[in-house]
Amino acid sequence: MAGARGLRGATAGVVGLAAAAVVLVPLLVMARTVWVEGAGLDDMLASPGLGRAVRNTFMLALAVTVLSVPLGTLLALGLRRTDLPGRSFWRVAVLLPVLVPDFVLGYSWLRAYGRAGFTDDLLGAHWSAVQGPVGVTVVVVVNAVPLVYLITAVGLAARAEPAMERAARASGAGALSVLRTITLPLLRPATATAAVLVFVLTLGTFAIPQVMGSPAGFTTITTRIYANLARSSDPLAFVEAVSLALLLVVITVLVVAPADALLGPRLRVTRVASTDPASASGNRTAGRWVAATGIGCYSLLAVGLPLLALVSTAITRAVGLPPSPENWTFANFGSVLTPRTGEALGRSLLLAAAAASVLVLLGGLVAALERSRSGRGVATLVTLTLVLPGSTLALGMLIAYGRWIGGTLVIILLAYIAKLWAIAHRPISGALDRLPPDELHASRVSGASPLTAIRTVVVRPLAPALLAAWLVCFLTALHEVTMSSLLYGPGSETLAVVVLNSTELGQVGATSALSVVITVLLLLPALGFWFLIRRLTRDRMTVTAVPEPVRAG
Amino acid sequence: MTVRDRSARLAAALPLLLIAACGGSDGGSDSGGSAGSDGAAEPITLYTCVSDTTIQPVIEAFEQDNPGSTIDLYRAPTADLNARVAGDVRSGGLQADVIWACDPLTMQDYVDQDLVGGWTPETDVAADLRTDDYVGVAVLYMVAVSAQGIAPPQSWSDLTGEEYADGVAVPDPSFAASALGALGYFSQDPDFGIEYYAGLRDNGAVQVSAPDEVTTGVAEGVYKAGITNANSAYAAQSSGSPIEIVWPEPGAIAIYGPAALAVDAAQSETAKAFLSYISSEQGQTVIAEAGSYPALEGVPGPTIPEDAQIVFPDWSALADQKDTLLADYQQIFGS
Repeated sequence: MAGARGLRGATAGVVGLAAAAVVLVPLLVMARTVWVEGAGLDDMLASPGLGRAVRNTFMLALAVTVLSVPLGTLLALGLRRTDLPGRSFWRVAVLLPVLVPDFVLGYSWLRAYGRAGFTDDLLGAHWSAVQGPVGVTVVVVVNAVPLVYLITAVGLAARAEPAMERAARASGAGALSVLRTITLPLLRPATATAAVLVFVLTLGTFAIPQVMGSPAGFTTITTRIYANLARSSDPLAFVEAVSLALLLVVITVLVVAPADALLGPRLRVTRVASTDPASASGNRTAGRWVAATGIGCYSLLAVGLPLLALVSTAITRAVGLPPSPENWTFANFGSVLTPRTGEALGRSLLLAAAAASVLVLLGGLVAALERSRSGRGVATLVTLTLVLPGSTLALGMLIAYGRWIGGTLVIILLAYIAKLWAIAHRPISGALDRLPPDELHASRVSGASPLTAIRTVVVRPLAPALLAAWLVCFLTALHEVTMSSLLYGPGSETLAVVVLNSTELGQVGATSALSVVITVLLLLPALGFWFLIRRLTRDRMTVTAVPEPVRAG
Repeated sequence: MTVRDRSARLAAALPLLLIAACGGSDGGSDSGGSAGSDGAAEPITLYTCVSDTTIQPVIEAFEQDNPGSTIDLYRAPTADLNARVAGDVRSGGLQADVIWACDPLTMQDYVDQDLVGGWTPETDVAADLRTDDYVGVAVLYMVAVSAQGIAPPQSWSDLTGEEYADGVAVPDPSFAASALGALGYFSQDPDFGIEYYAGLRDNGAVQVSAPDEVTTGVAEGVYKAGITNANSAYAAQSSGSPIEIVWPEPGAIAIYGPAALAVDAAQSETAKAFLSYISSEQGQTVIAEAGSYPALEGVPGPTIPEDAQIVFPDWSALADQKDTLLADYQQIFGS
């Protein structure tokens, strides 16, 4: 079919150009910088601190992946129970960490559980390990769990087969064996997607190790990069920062490329799933309260208490005073909210919406190309910029395009696309493979144009995955700090830049107030989109509730 | 290719165009060129790491006094500022006409790379606070803070004494330039030397990242005392934090924030006018009223105790010693 091939060629062209512009060019200019200026790098590679940082980074990424993937999956399975008490509330609550910028999350944990923190004031007990590797690991896990949950929940919505689960139950299988032999195997593509994303994101995570680990002497590659950038008026320190960023890229290539090449084809299940709103859940009476209590405790300890500590610090007049009513004040908020905040909020909303829309489109296109080997190559390629800390990715963009579009919103948008492409692509890819190619052919044979066929056959069942990807990209772009703070110019200050610039970081009250403000500003659009997604998901489910025959692949 | 294909790609490109249109209207003024031959004052670009609360009133006052002049501001923490400059240099050249940095070492690096310098305004700022390439326009003072119920240290060397055992917080000199200034001063003063830090370490002192963290930790009672900057300490104290602030013997350590003209802006009258303004008595008064310590003697500014002594690191020597000094320091506080 010439039309389909033409469309495929055009898709490959668009994706190839975009990947070259936002991924390859910045990486190449960084490599060139190291090549041209990297004379003194031998000393750097020989430094014992570097080996320790590499080991710390690797162990952290491993531990976070091993812990957050089961935890996120467990949450998704628990929240799938329609009989769960307070289900709709918990479904929003577990996503809260996505709304909270990661430096805020790290900071709020210190305020909640650290020395002289919330629990110390209230109960006279603190957790000293919160500052250091253990605390960093726990908080990065908390930060990663919503992403795993989201990908797994979308996977469950797209591919769970309640009919099969019910059949197994009717044939006498226990709840656990249904989980082990049917539900989890069907989820494998989603689980693999989540694991790869979490691993790479953790390799490149910066704010949490910087806030919680650095004071305790726990260094990672990203915190070393930052320390070098802080001294980068010295050209050698600058080159060292860029080299370390490229080292992260190399580690990512070594891990992700084999995973993509080996797992990709094997995980594809060509099986048509029918989703069914009355999904199978295990024993209806026992267990539901256990599940609700578990989710409740997790949400309270991981997010609730830290955010409460943050609010309490934000409204306390001065550091070192007890957070009692006579010490309450709103002055900290006054210092953060300036007239420019509103203007910047509008700009950030526009920027984030544009980035999310472009990203979902590009993510979908890469997912569509992935059935070929070169397509999988592109999938690996766009993961490379995900691992780069925002600061170095922004530098790559600045060196590559600064002379033409420096200081404009366009360069910030390009940086967002580079950073978040994999986050948009992988969840879509994880849900896409359940689409039977036959249906696309059938609609084309019946006279539908390529676009109509894609719109009706492909986009519709993918709506939850597309919307989830859009939402995550939108929210992440909305509270992004590092890249916009390095790239902005007059007239392109984002919300985070204005809010961060309005206060000196380090002043505890103002920092807390600023964190509360950012979180609340994000909460409003996020809740709106959440309800939109729920409505769309419900509509879709009633449309596709007609049972379809199960085809073996 | 069908018409629909084309319209789909156009739809995909729309968000990009939209953003380009929005950013483009303002982005054009960011080129930092200084071609103003038509008589009207050309806009200049200022890169700085000083806080918004200080820089905004200064820009406002300057633009009011110089009608028609506009300043495009890029403000960011030191690490971002340095990275931005490094990126600019590798992408067609420095975009700033004026840089206002937070410590002399950073500025000296830029002078060494021929990015700034070669001109300074006529000013009464003391010779300790300027060179032929840049002039100090604000000052940070490193002082000591102590928690309530603890006797405040009278001299820096008190912090190595038993009274403060396991309770002193020191800011990280590889993180904060002001802490590096303190390290420089102590290492250069024969009464202290790098051994001073070994003494602190032996006394159980703890390293934190930034001076603000020292202030916070002491206010919360986590530490007995610490080395921090005066702005941070007085801000906490005036909002009610239970701390004492001392300018210890032989003196608080002064770290000045220098401003310099970009080499490429040598012809820009506006850039020169701005530098002259911020180092003049009038500009210094605005800076002081905004809460920063002025560099010009006689301009009333934030709190300095009557009998306070002030000491200065030898910055030009420190520029050469920096790397070995940091290595020696890390031998002691190793992280």
